[in-house]
Amino acid sequence: MDNRELWTVLGMDLEKHNDFLAPVPAIFTSLFLERPNRPKTMGYFDMIVGDVHGIRVHELYAMKEAGVKVFSTFCVYVPEEIVVATGSASIGLCAGAQYTVSSGEKVLPRNLCPLIKSTMGFKLDRICPYFQVSDWVIGETTCDGKKKAWEILNEHIPTYVMDLPQKKDFKDARLWEEEVRDFASFIERETKVSITSENLAQGIQKINNKRQALQRLANLRKYNPAPIHGLDVLLINQLSFFDDPVRFAAQVNALCDELDVRIKDGIGVASADAPRILVTGTPQPLPAWKLHALIEQAGAVVVGEETCTGERYYKDVTEPADNVSDMLANIAKRPLKVNCACFTPNQGRLEDIAFMAENLKADAVIDFSLQFCQTYGVESYFVGKEMEKRQIPFLRLESDFSEEDQGQLLTRIEALIEMIRA
Amino acid sequence: MKQAGLDLGSVNTKLVVLENGERVYSQVIPSRFDSVQAGINLLKSYVEDHGEKPEKLVVTGYGRVNFPEGRVITEISCQARGCHAYYPDNAYLLDLGGQDAKVIKKNPEGKVVQFIMNDKCAAGTGRFLDIILKGLDLTAEEMELATDAKPMPINSMCTVFAESEVITMIAKGIPKPEVIAGLFKSTAKRLANFVESVGYPECLIFTGGGAHYSLLVHFLERELKGNIVIPEEPELTAALGAALLA
Repeated sequence: MDNRELWTVLGMDLEKHNDFLAPVPAIFTSLFLERPNRPKTMGYFDMIVGDVHGIRVHELYAMKEAGVKVFSTFCVYVPEEIVVATGSASIGLCAGAQYTVSSGEKVLPRNLCPLIKSTMGFKLDRICPYFQVSDWVIGETTCDGKKKAWEILNEHIPTYVMDLPQKKDFKDARLWEEEVRDFASFIERETKVSITSENLAQGIQKINNKRQALQRLANLRKYNPAPIHGLDVLLINQLSFFDDPVRFAAQVNALCDELDVRIKDGIGVASADAPRILVTGTPQPLPAWKLHALIEQAGAVVVGEETCTGERYYKDVTEPADNVSDMLANIAKRPLKVNCACFTPNQGRLEDIAFMAENLKADAVIDFSLQFCQTYGVESYFVGKEMEKRQIPFLRLESDFSEEDQGQLLTRIEALIEMIRA
Repeated sequence: MKQAGLDLGSVNTKLVVLENGERVYSQVIPSRFDSVQAGINLLKSYVEDHGEKPEKLVVTGYGRVNFPEGRVITEISCQARGCHAYYPDNAYLLDLGGQDAKVIKKNPEGKVVQFIMNDKCAAGTGRFLDIILKGLDLTAEEMELATDAKPMPINSMCTVFAESEVITMIAKGIPKPEVIAGLFKSTAKRLANFVESVGYPECLIFTGGGAHYSLLVHFLERELKGNIVIPEEPELTAALGAALLA
């Protein structure tokens, strides 16, 4: 089956899909492929993006034909270990394209986070094969916009919602553990596979390995000169939600091996005096590359992402255990260490940012918030205050997935770089 | 040695030339949607009058990235440097340009330590005021009367909505001076909040074309409960800063 046949089987709107994908190769070529001095092992990730609606979708389709299910997620809190334990696939969904925002606005308010509108638009337009191949969407209650949007999305695809608490007290942890146990039962029911201590231990191991590979990569970015572009790492972080976890971890480790050699030889992608930027805030889901591209176009290098398409996804792993019940308890513990702005209070996030800024030797912090994201938008006040206290140059940016404000963003980024260099 | 600063703004394009640190030339022309061409014209006419190009050139402002020559520095750094030449002891400046507003905090060396800029849209910028004032078609007398008029509150800061609010007021028979006073007061309040999100200056430098609106300055002083100082030619400070950095 070629791609078009597959997309037809998946009920996609082929004409619209062509229109959506048409500009991607040129953008990807100029943003990624044409940049000098990229690590050779980026080739694997380039190949995946080169056929982003092909290779992996064929794989998922074949898995489905063999009887497994595909669960789609939008959040680092969803315990993919449980899905993987049953042999099913857990994938993240496209949510970072301006193209689908206007369709999303047919059913959602305009004054809503572009990520939610983009997601909804992908489903309404039927141009995301990952959405089409999915049996279920696993939602969560990380913000009011998502929480209510799931109800609409459920009209188009079955949507299961996990209730994430808003505080991290003992009783919240208990509620979340219940949610995780319920989720495990739901996955067992849907996949008709029983969760055992063997398969769950394997699920935990596979996802831990993936997270550890990403941690290893993140930690190599502390070296100066930077061994890899921030934009390349962002791409990898984005793909970490889609790809087969075992193969993906192996590829990330291969990349790290190559970077180890670069670091030993003092080879970098930017000069040693290039300003080093830590990006914090809201996620940059595929294919949102604008912010990193602009920062690096301005002569700086992004050395870390304190975001869900970055550190928040992989900073913690699940502790192993002997039996299913304890494993589920540990699976529930990991996400509650993640400091998302949906929690109150969220002091831990400021400590995470301060630690990352120091560990990565960042010269400045850019706190990025997607338009209408209330939680991160409000929390930006504390991030700014903390950075002022620590005398770390700080810039707050707000944007969406559109291209029109690139000039305005670039002016602000360049001014920040001039501030650092002055 | 001659150093030039060229500020390619959205409304006006400005050139300042210094010789041994002293200003020897300055000129402002409208950008007319093509600040790059306006900048080329300005430099050309300078060369025609003075026989040679300045040795050093820094370009700044909206059109800077597309300009064929000169070193590029953002308007944030240039504005801070230009204002520093006038007021080295004041830390905060507000720049109200044609399509953006910015607040900059500078240190005793004139370097930027913090800045913020308005969002994507024209709300509260020079363009916003221009559009509404143009629509009102004011006489000099009405403008003068506005100084003592009771300001009618204008709630909307979106240019399009504010315009329709103003139209509604005029249709209701509210005197134009009260509407204008309201327009400036509302804008001043918004700008004051903008400034105070960065800090609370005792004395604020106000620059950019917007600083020419004396009524705005009047209301802004009241909102900030502090003094405002305005450089001699407030629309030229970024170009001056560019020349100083050249």
